[in-house]
Amino acid sequence: MPAGPRPAGILSAGILVLSNAHIILLLSTISTGLILGAIFALVAAGVTIVYGSIWMPNAANGQFFLLAALFGWTMTVSWGVHPAIAALLVIGLSVPLSYGLEYILVRRFYDVPNRNISYFVLSLGITQILTGIFASTYSRWSDQYQLPPLIKGVTFIGPFPIATNRLAVLAIAVVILAALFALLRFHKYGRALRAVFQNRDAAALRGVNVKAAYSLSFALGNAVIFAGGILFALAYSFDLSVAWTMSITAFAIMIIGGPGSVLGALVVGLVFGFTQAIVSNFASPTVAAFSYLGAMLLILLFKPSGLFAK
Amino acid sequence: MTISPDAARPGQTWSSAKLPLAVFACAAIALPLVLSGNRYLAFVAGVTMIHVLWANGMNLLYGYTGLMPLMFAGLAGISAYFVVDLTALGWSFWAALPVGVLAASIAGTILGLPSLRLKGFYFTLCSLVIQTVITLGFVYFSSLTNGDTGFSQIPLPSLPGGAPLSGTAYELVLSALAVVSVIVLMAIVRSAFGRRLISIREDDTLAETLGINVTWYKLLAFFVGSVFAGIGGALYAPYIGFISPRSFDVLISMNIWLMVAFGGRGTIWGPVVGALLLAPLSFLLQDYYMFKDVFYGLLIIAVIVLMPAGIAGGFHRGAARQ
Repeated sequence: MPAGPRPAGILSAGILVLSNAHIILLLSTISTGLILGAIFALVAAGVTIVYGSIWMPNAANGQFFLLAALFGWTMTVSWGVHPAIAALLVIGLSVPLSYGLEYILVRRFYDVPNRNISYFVLSLGITQILTGIFASTYSRWSDQYQLPPLIKGVTFIGPFPIATNRLAVLAIAVVILAALFALLRFHKYGRALRAVFQNRDAAALRGVNVKAAYSLSFALGNAVIFAGGILFALAYSFDLSVAWTMSITAFAIMIIGGPGSVLGALVVGLVFGFTQAIVSNFASPTVAAFSYLGAMLLILLFKPSGLFAK
Repeated sequence: MTISPDAARPGQTWSSAKLPLAVFACAAIALPLVLSGNRYLAFVAGVTMIHVLWANGMNLLYGYTGLMPLMFAGLAGISAYFVVDLTALGWSFWAALPVGVLAASIAGTILGLPSLRLKGFYFTLCSLVIQTVITLGFVYFSSLTNGDTGFSQIPLPSLPGGAPLSGTAYELVLSALAVVSVIVLMAIVRSAFGRRLISIREDDTLAETLGINVTWYKLLAFFVGSVFAGIGGALYAPYIGFISPRSFDVLISMNIWLMVAFGGRGTIWGPVVGALLLAPLSFLLQDYYMFKDVFYGLLIIAVIVLMPAGIAGGFHRGAARQ
């Protein structure tokens, strides 16, 4: 900057530049917080739907999330499919995968008492299998994965630019969350699911097909996790380590929000998204991870039913 | 949950355990001598003996007390890092060993506190979170742990004469410790302490009503179990010569759990067999690490779906089920 004759002018220009930078930082923090928060909320809602109904704490949720992201990468980058079509295909693909897994493994435990610990270990086994498969296939092709944007270009909010692609991802995530809420609240499948959440035997007496509701909630939960994965991949580049981080984060959100509570997943997911966005501006991601895990431990010890328990 | 075979016969004497114990002791001591010509196989045998020790500690917690902590490797890591840091400061290994073991046991007891409030899945999840925090801590506090790089070329412990404890001698020490750990576990299970742990496993509310101090015995179980973890961790570091946060991460904890569950929890010999079968396997599959993960994952699923009582449970019908 050329040295001007009037120090006061330089000073005020300096403040202007600084505050502009601050606003850009603030806006990017808000947009990142919203996008991450919506994606966290989606994945945690998927996990909490499955836990609330069939009592399966799915530790493999992060691997499912990564699977969706990697499928999306293969379709768009290797096969040249348009990202929007790829996203739909990936989410559609989750349905036969979920029903297959449900048929082979999950179904066996529906009547076992204390099945949540068996399911937990089972899902850790699935995690390890998928980790091995990803490490031997995708990690040999690339370290960092980037999908083509859904929509190219930049949108200006006032004078400040933001990638249109990320706005689109945010909009889709919000629409999916809203649709999920509407489904659970108003549709008869949603009511059946909630009835099974609350009391399996009473729901069965009232004519709800409990086993069908179980398979449906497993498929629905995984579809939502897959949606979160493909949306994350469309908004940000990622590597294979995202899986374990997502698993832990989704579990922390579920425990803090209250297992089975979709509202809790939404609220706590947004809080975590903003925390991540803010913390990553001035500290390492490890600090964010420490804070999630610490919050989760405190809730586990002092209010295991969570903040939004029914 | 039914009572496991060991608990079903409290009057069982040492004599019935003598034969398998003698066979195991002879085999464990003979193995390093037989394999001394082949450094690689002898090394695999040494690492396997450390895993036998770990599996016994995990068995005390998971098999006999009915708690499923997934932070066992993290506790071993705490001891290993203590020993490496203290020896780097000039301490003798043999002075650092008890300090590391004590650190692991105190950490294990404190980190076992959640088990007083949380049951089943919630405690396991809590311990998984603790394991993750420990691993993050190993990476984060890099002034003490050298971060992700870890420590390499860890010096061997020296013997009284000044010569380093290495090769076959080290493996003999590890074998002896594995045998001692089996004897200690047998003694614990046959004592009043062990019977109280088993009663806590079966029904901790009932145990409390019967006048057993559940809090005290759960924490004591964590202390003793962590001693096993700590001794294994302290001897692991100089034996391998290299430690990093990856050496003690959640996958290792899962593997130790798998040895106990696969072998048969709540039996003396099940977890020993599990460790003897599974620990060498990871070496055999080392070059096919992707296959290794898939295989371990499938094995975990197979144990949960097909054989919740493990190999030993196949022989004892009606053994402890989940």
